[in-house]
Amino acid sequence: MVIKLGNKIRSAAHGLMIGAGVLLASGTQASADTDISGKKVVFVPIAMGISLTEGWARRMREHADMHGYTIDVRDAAFNTGAMAELLAKAISEKPDVLVVHNPTVQLLARQIKQAESEGIKVLQINLQSNQPSAAFVGANWERIGREIAEDIVKECGEGSGKSGKVSIVPGQLTAADSVIMNEAAFKVFEAHKEIEVVSNQASDWEPEKARQITATVLQQHPDLCAVFGHWDVHTMGAGNAVKDAGLADSVLVYATGGGDDVACKAVEDNVLDRVWSYDADGQGRDAGTMVDLLLQGASGADGAMMSVESPMKIIKGGDAYDPGLCWKM
Amino acid sequence: MAEILSMLRTSKRKGRLLEIVVMAVTVALVAAFSIAVDGFATPGNLEIILSNSASLVILGCGMAVVIISRGLDLSLIAVMVAGATTFSIFINADIPVVTALVLTVAAMAMVGLANAWLIAYVEIPAMLATLASAMAVTGFFRFAILRGEFLLLLSKDNPAVIFLSGDIVPGLPTPVALMVAALIVTWVLLRGTAAGRTIYAMGDNFQAARLTGLPVRTTTIVVYVFAAMMALCAGLVTSAASGAVDFRTVTNGTLLFEVVLVVVLGGIPLRGGRGGVWNIVIGVALIAVLRNGMTLMNFTSQTQDVLKGLVLMVAIVADNYLNPRDTETDAVGDL
Repeated sequence: MVIKLGNKIRSAAHGLMIGAGVLLASGTQASADTDISGKKVVFVPIAMGISLTEGWARRMREHADMHGYTIDVRDAAFNTGAMAELLAKAISEKPDVLVVHNPTVQLLARQIKQAESEGIKVLQINLQSNQPSAAFVGANWERIGREIAEDIVKECGEGSGKSGKVSIVPGQLTAADSVIMNEAAFKVFEAHKEIEVVSNQASDWEPEKARQITATVLQQHPDLCAVFGHWDVHTMGAGNAVKDAGLADSVLVYATGGGDDVACKAVEDNVLDRVWSYDADGQGRDAGTMVDLLLQGASGADGAMMSVESPMKIIKGGDAYDPGLCWKM
Repeated sequence: MAEILSMLRTSKRKGRLLEIVVMAVTVALVAAFSIAVDGFATPGNLEIILSNSASLVILGCGMAVVIISRGLDLSLIAVMVAGATTFSIFINADIPVVTALVLTVAAMAMVGLANAWLIAYVEIPAMLATLASAMAVTGFFRFAILRGEFLLLLSKDNPAVIFLSGDIVPGLPTPVALMVAALIVTWVLLRGTAAGRTIYAMGDNFQAARLTGLPVRTTTIVVYVFAAMMALCAGLVTSAASGAVDFRTVTNGTLLFEVVLVVVLGGIPLRGGRGGVWNIVIGVALIAVLRNGMTLMNFTSQTQDVLKGLVLMVAIVADNYLNPRDTETDAVGDL
């Protein structure tokens, strides 16, 4: 009886495997049949030469090579004026999909609207404009701001025995991520009156400015409990200021970022304590998949914006440290 | 009041009125911040002001010498970052510090030489020559050396980085010591050497300096190589402190304007021929105190930029009012 039952299970398993094989084969066939080869995609990042955008471009290129469409990268090199010009030129070339990395919520809004009205599908990556478009792939900044603020409350708030003083170092006060993270964090802090934000000054994404601001703030508030930097790269300057002041053991340095191996090295070196990583490598893969779908004609229900939220990886120093959470270019 | 102003304007010290005004404003700000801002008037904060100003003072020394010779060096920040990049690449590759430093000094001296050659021998205006070299240096380093990267991160465990960002002797940070050394070297160059006297002569009346047989071309080489060395020194201080070499410092452009601002604010006119080390100290003092006070008061960076811009405008208007154009300044023109 038991043997018969085992044979039946084995037969069923074989059947399932054959079925899955047929399905996979037909899936592969379907993929090969999708008529997206020869299509054109243009990617306009804020700047290449940083792990975030290089990681995205690498994965999107893999998708382009796999499906036979082209992807051109137009590097704005941190120049917003050049970025608007590059985007205008890209729109005039009528690509099938435009991938845009917004430096602020407003800067490229009109051009995104123009591109969409001309039938070009716009995928916004990681930083969202005020203007909706076909799709968005990226981090949930509200969630990151809220979660970091909640962690700060846990570490610095009531019952922690700490001062509750927090210094925030945004990138730019008008950048989408900074705006959303600050809103979410302040919402949490408002409910915890013991938390005092003693500084909220943008560093223009520069490590040296972040260092100078933090060194000055630490002088005024040596009992500072936490620094919340909005990007790991510039927050490393703030972390170095904390380290140079000999306060690495008492001040927690929080950051967000793409989670490449440099972030892990900074955690190992005690420059950063906790990094909310949105895994740029995974985002690149998500963006590549979304471009494939857009090229195949996918769209949101009733024209709504399709959205893919990046899963978070939280890199912590100390005993919980796991270098496997970071990716390498 | 009008009589007092008239007296001031005709006094022997009329050329130094701007620096007196700037000094007075700095003293007033120090007094106001000391009363109003918690944590401003402390020895620790003075150390932070000095450390944070070190690179600005060192860059100011380079720019001041160039401006006094009636030039302008728009490649200063590009050379600063390129120098820091070169040195960082060498030390990251475990090349001995002294060798790395010698190679970096040689490389940056070549950039200064190239600037001077374009200006003194090809006779391209300083502004255009240094703008072109800034672009060439930035482009070359970003794409040929860093292969497109914007940032180069430095390990704070490296002995050279520890030395540059630590204390040279207990209680004296290395950046502050380098800042003082830069001021002394600049003072010696301007006041104690034949090249220094030629620099003033060139700034006062370039044609007359050339016609009287002064070595204006070789002095131009001294000026731009000196500026490149100061830029390199500032680059080493900045990158060691923040643990990163960041090419956005060049592309953002704000630091270059800040350097010109402190030099002009200190009382060194863009038409050249006047000023010295003291003027650099005055200019940086005002900006450093203003920046530190505003940071302690939690002003946003945009508000800080607006206020710094207003200070510059007030200084220029005051300079124009207190030092009206005369036959000399009209004849030589401004930049």
